[in-house]
Order: sequence, then structure tokens, then C-alpha cells
Amino acid sequence: MRTKQKIIKVPFIGDLIYSSGHTILGILLGIFTGGLLIAISGVNPFLAYASMFRGAFNSLQSFSNVLVRSSPLLLGGIGVAIGIKSGVWNTGIEGYMYIGAIGATIVAIPELGLPPIIHILLCFIVAMLFAGLWGAIPGYLRAYKGVNEVTATIMLSYVAIYFTNWIVSGSPLAQEGAYFPMSLPFAESSLLSILMKGTSLHPGPFIGLLMCIIFHIILKYTPFGFRTRMLGYNPFAAQYAGINSKKQIVMTMVIGAMLGGLGGAIEVLGLKHRLYMEFVTGVGYESVAVALVAGGEPIGVMLSALFFSILKVGGATMSIETGVSSSMASIIIALCVLFVIGVGVADSKRLKKRDEKDPGKKTLSFKMEEAVK
Amino acid sequence: MNENSILLKMQDISKSFPGVLANDHVTIECEKGHVLGLLGENGAGKTTLMNILYGLYQPDQGKIFVDGKQVVINSPSEAINHGIGMVHQHFKLVDTLSVIENVILGIPTNKAVLDFGPAKKKLEKLCKEYELFVDPEEIVWRLPVGKQQWVEILKALYRDCKVLVLDEPTAVLTPSESDQLCRAIRKITEQGRSVVFISHKLREVIEITDKVTVIRDGKVIGTVNTKEATQSILAEMMVGRPVTIERKARPTVKEHSAVLVMKNVNAFDDRGVQALKDFNLTVHAGEIVGVAGVDGNGQRELSECITGLRKPSSGSITIQDKQVTNVIADPSFVGFIPEDRQKTGLVLDFTVAENLLIKDYKEKPYVKNGFLQYSEMKKHAEHMIKKYNIKSPSGDIKVKTLSGGNQQKVVIARELDAQPVLDVASHPTRGLDLGAVSNVHDILLNERNRGAAVLFISAELQEVMALSDRIVVLYSGQIMGELNGETADQFTIGQMMLGQTTEAKK
Repeated sequence: MRTKQKIIKVPFIGDLIYSSGHTILGILLGIFTGGLLIAISGVNPFLAYASMFRGAFNSLQSFSNVLVRSSPLLLGGIGVAIGIKSGVWNTGIEGYMYIGAIGATIVAIPELGLPPIIHILLCFIVAMLFAGLWGAIPGYLRAYKGVNEVTATIMLSYVAIYFTNWIVSGSPLAQEGAYFPMSLPFAESSLLSILMKGTSLHPGPFIGLLMCIIFHIILKYTPFGFRTRMLGYNPFAAQYAGINSKKQIVMTMVIGAMLGGLGGAIEVLGLKHRLYMEFVTGVGYESVAVALVAGGEPIGVMLSALFFSILKVGGATMSIETGVSSSMASIIIALCVLFVIGVGVADSKRLKKRDEKDPGKKTLSFKMEEAVK
Repeated sequence: MNENSILLKMQDISKSFPGVLANDHVTIECEKGHVLGLLGENGAGKTTLMNILYGLYQPDQGKIFVDGKQVVINSPSEAINHGIGMVHQHFKLVDTLSVIENVILGIPTNKAVLDFGPAKKKLEKLCKEYELFVDPEEIVWRLPVGKQQWVEILKALYRDCKVLVLDEPTAVLTPSESDQLCRAIRKITEQGRSVVFISHKLREVIEITDKVTVIRDGKVIGTVNTKEATQSILAEMMVGRPVTIERKARPTVKEHSAVLVMKNVNAFDDRGVQALKDFNLTVHAGEIVGVAGVDGNGQRELSECITGLRKPSSGSITIQDKQVTNVIADPSFVGFIPEDRQKTGLVLDFTVAENLLIKDYKEKPYVKNGFLQYSEMKKHAEHMIKKYNIKSPSGDIKVKTLSGGNQQKVVIARELDAQPVLDVASHPTRGLDLGAVSNVHDILLNERNRGAAVLFISAELQEVMALSDRIVVLYSGQIMGELNGETADQFTIGQMMLGQTTEAKK
């Protein structure tokens, strides 16, 4: 590994290919195993995958579905990724999305007489504020009280989900007499515009992609990113170098929460136009998988979020056309995550065997191993 | 000596880790029915050696003989089959299972349903035999630590081990429990089993063992019969260095104001044990104060308190009349070479350039308009690589790929280049080869001559004596005595390191 690092000499792309080797191998294994399962269920896996591909890329409309589907995954994924970089598992994206959406709802319903752009920005800011405060709770507990952040964030997600249920059914914001628990409709000026006629493509995915690039730059090129990475790689050295690791942990968790909250707000403002009960079931947890497959790298989040939504959107088509169960897409995603982690763990074990006890090997694959437990 | 009576022999064992030679041609022998003491400081390589014996590591070279037969041990289960039992420093028990479940855990059985009856009887018999009483039904986490150790020992005896390895067994025991352990060890050896007793406490080694092998820096310094050994002989073996380091000539430095002043400092270690007791120390500009002592007597806490990483429970620490309150991460004020460079001093996954700036990354010119300037960082790294002769092809490679000596150079370059008023160097030469050691000594001496106050903490008596203007001896969190670096003799320091106060000759 030490000498091989520069084998592919193309700058950036070469590094990307080298560093994503594990990931690509893991994904291929996941797709292969998924194919076996499809074959077992009595369908030709090549036909099934072809139909999945068509479902995602057949028309502008289907590809815009992929993009729309990727929006919360991009924002949630980058939120988790920045946590991974600093060594914390910010797994509460689901909850941040709900809390962010509640924040957006509060200012989106009333006609404020603002120009759309201002109204939307206001919704975004309130959403990020709400979610940020929400994320500060597990952040504080983790940094100052030593409470495990995975437990705290997941538990708080349930609180957020049930709080949303009350908002859309019992609070003054709820639509009375609705067929399904939902809030009052949002004001026209707060809604995100549709970018392409005949599709539901809103600016969300592009905001998500932009955020990935911004956070790539922040992590790599700013003192804040330097601190974050140092903390993630070696918390002892970070403390020795004078970094207030507690503050840094709270900050990364709050930023992750704000991104999750923004993702939730974009879902309701761009797609749903109301706050519904359980409007993002499981998307928050999928973003944890997105960040895992991306290895905590913002650029990787771009690719893995798109990959996940291709599987999801294409998977629906596959299910309709070939009769494969609709849950197959989720199974393939899960297989990919497991194989990516498995390949990473296997490789780090191999390296560990080669030079036992080299503490430098405690990189991401090691942390993933912990996370799986 | 009758060859047949050797129950365990590890011959010519070598094991290296990146940058560290943990075992260097180590040979130990343990006779049937004897207790072999393995004496050495933390990091001397005792635990590595025992992990090799237990199949957790593979040696780079060397052979292991049990009962005269050569064996290859690839895993702990193979070690157990060869009759080797091990009680690790950190217990390997399943907290939520009962004693008896822990004892039989891992023993293959071909029954579908576990029958605890016979196992319990066997365990109770062992308890009586060795007077190590534990209730087989008790859940392990409810047991006090001492009893948990009994469980570990009984577990090994239950498997009918021929050789029982105890790694720092008394560290967690009360005095009366230690006595109990001694009695049990005698009974174990009476039956022809052997015990390897690892410790860095001289007194108990002399009390319990038949022979002692002293390990230092991964090498065997010597093996002596315990009857013929005294504490001071063993201490000399522990601290003496095979190569004498010459004391270098030094100019007197005019500037002599007090830089570091510690008054009545008390501090606790991570386990909550008091590590510094009413500690007083002053270090002046232009002098090297050497802190001698067996490692683990408060050295770590001392360096951490001075640099603000650890808060003392009481007392005051000032550097140039400024009270130390927070972590000092300003190398132009205090340079700190921490004792564990890989764990504390470096971010191994960062590049050399980044590691050189983990304290100064926010300063100009490395940050412009809020962005890190990698080109400036690289320039800085190239300058440092030349100036400190760091063997690294460029600043862009990860620091974990460098050798131990060059990693230490990176730390030294970062900490001392800005000419701090106080240098705290904690075991700066640990694990380095002789050339690198002398390089570090030269650098510290230059720091002193420049007018910096230097606090030099080391367990190597020779190097403390070669380098220091004044020597203080740390024992159990207190200064046992202070000596002049020119005139101090090894014997007096050795006595103080064992906690014996002799009148210090100034």
C-alpha cells in the first residue's frame, strides 16, 4: 500500500480510483450477489438489471426522479460524512429531517407577503436552526457527558417522528378532517419551483451536490476541516495540539444536523408541499449507508447518493416489469453496504496481519467495523 | 543444569513492529516447579514476549520449546493445548457470564446440553486446593477485581496448564490479596507446574521468584538466581545501559531566571490514583533538569500538568510567571515532546507537512483568507526536512511510513524550531537507535545553550546523568532527592529510584 499509492498517475481521478477501490469492489460484489438472489427468485438477472437501468435512465422524467430521490440522500449523507471525518457517528439524520421540516412548515404556512426567494430562504434558515438545536442535544451529551452518540441520535429520532405526528394531527398547524395526517398547505411563495416541465425536478439535488463540493473544500482546505480531520484520525494528538475536541464534536454534530434539517425542508417545500406524517420513512438511515459507502468523503457521497437513488428508482421499474419483489432494491443496497464494509475490514485485517500493531491502520474501515457492531 | 528439567524455553526470539524492535534475540528458560520473574519497565518488551508465547503474535525468528519439544504456536487455543495458561494484565473474562461459565468457556464439548455439575465439582476442588475461593455461580462483573483474577487463574488451572503466565498480577490487588496470590503460586509450583511472573516491582519479584530475567529495550540484560540478587543489583540491571554515553562539555549560560515554577502540585492519574504528591520543582533558563526514576512514578502526569493537558487537583504551575490553565499549544512558548509520539505527538494518517503544523496551522502564512495554503505548508516542510535531516522524500507522504527516529525528528522540528522558553522532553529517545539518541541529546544540549529551560524526563539513568545540570529523582509522585549532574553517582540515584532516601550529596 505504501508504495502503490501513486500507481495511477492521473491527478485527482487517479487518487479517486485508487481510494475508491474498496468501494467499487464492494458494490460489484453486492450487485453480483443481488443477481444471484434475483436468479433464485426465478428471473433472469441480466434482464432484471437491464430493466432497472432503463427505469433510471430511460427518459428525462425517470432521470429527474433519480435526482429528486437523491436530494435528501445527498444532504443527509454529507451530514453523516462530516461526523465520520471527526470520529462521531451522527446517525440521527432521520430525526433532523423531521425537525427541519417542522421548522420550515412553521414559516411556510402563513402568507408572509415575501418574495419567493426570501420566503424560501427563511424556511431554510428556520429549518437549519431547528435541526441544529436538535443536533446540539446528542452533541452535548456525547462531548460533555460521554453518552454514546449512536444511541442518543437514534432515540431522539423517534422523539422527532412522534413530535411530527402530533404536529400533523393535533396541533394548530394540522389540516383538520384530512384523509391522512398532514399539515395545512404551504403558502405559494414558499414552494420550490419545478425546473423541468412534466417532472417533479426541484433544485434540491443541485443544492445537495453543491453542498458536497462545498464540504469537500471545507474539510480539505480550511482550518476547521483540518481540525475535524485531526480529531477523527487521532483525538489524543488533537487534544495535544490544543484543539477543544468537545467543542469540535458539538460543532460537527450540529452542522450534520443542519444539513439533515435542510434536506427535510427541501423534501416538504419541493416535493410534498405540506408536512405529512412519516414523509421520509427510512431516508435518514439510508443516508448513513450513503456516507458509509462513500467512506466519509463528500465527493464519494455525491456518487453513492446517486447510485442509491438509481437503485431505488430503477428498482421500482424492475419490480413492475419483471415481477421481482419491490424490496429487492433495498436488499441490493444492503448487500452493497455490507460488502463495501466487508471488503474494507478484510483488507485492513490483511494489512494488520502484515504489520501488526501499526496504529495508523485504524482508519475508516476500522471504524466501520465498530459501527456494524 | 539438567536440560530435562526445563519446562519452557523461548530461544532467540525476535519481533519487530514498524519503527520498534520489541524483542531482540530474547532467550528465557523456566525450570519445572520454578517461578521465573520477568522484570523490566513498561515498554521493555515483556508483554510482547508473552503474547508470542500465547500465540497472539508470531515471532520474526526464534523457537519455543515446551517440555523439551519444539512447538509452533499460532493461536491461543494452540497455546492452551500445549499447556500454557495466561492471565493478562487486562482480564479477558465475559462480564455478564457466571464464574463457572467463564471457566468452561471455549472448552470443546460434544454434549448438546451443558452439564455444569462435573465442571462445578472440579472447580470447587481447585478453589480448595489453592485457597482461591470464588462462588462458581456468581456473575463475573459483581466480583471485586481481585476475585476476577482468581477466576482467571482458576480458568488456566482448570485447563491443567503446565506453565502459568501472570502479567502484572499484583497491580490490581490489595496487600492481603497479594499474600494470598503468593501462597497460591507456591502451591502451583509444588505440583511441578511453572509460573512466569511479569512485573516491574522489585520487591515482589524478589519475594516470589526463583530466577529473574531482566529485559530492557527488548533485550535480555541478564538472568540471576533470586537468592543471590538484591534490589540494587536488579535495579542496576534495569536502569543500566550497555553503552555508556559520554557527558559532553557545556558552556555556562548567563541567563538564569526561573522559567518553570511548580508549587505543591497534586495530580491524579486516569485511574484516579494520586500521581503527584505536593510536588515542587523549579527549572531555570539555560539548564537541563533531568527527571530520573522508574517509569510510572508520575512522569507522565508531570509532563501533562506542565503543558496543561492535565489539570492538577491543587497547587500552582507557572511558566515565566504565567499561570498554566489551558492546554499550551504554542511551540514558541513551550515545546513539548510527548512520551508516546505515535499516540499523542503525531497524526499518523496526516502527511509530514501537516504534522509539522498541527499546532500552527492557523497562523500566517499557512492560512490566507480562511483557506489553508498547502503550497506554504509544503515549503515549510521542505525547509524542516533539510534543517532537521528528516529522512523523507517529501512533505507529502504520510508520517506513518517514516521510521521511528524520523517520526521523532518531525515532532522535535515542530516543537523546538520556534525556540520555546521551556522544553519538556518526555522519554525523547525511547525506541530510537544509538545514532538517533545522540542526535536528540545534541539538540537538547543546544536548546540549553541557547538559554531555554529544559525539563528532561527519562528512565535511562545513563542519559539523564550525561545530559542534566541537575537531577531530581521521582518516586511515587514525589521527589526523593536532588543531585548535581556533574557529581551524581549511579548508586545513589538507583537507591532513590527505589524509594530509599539517602542523604543526597550535592
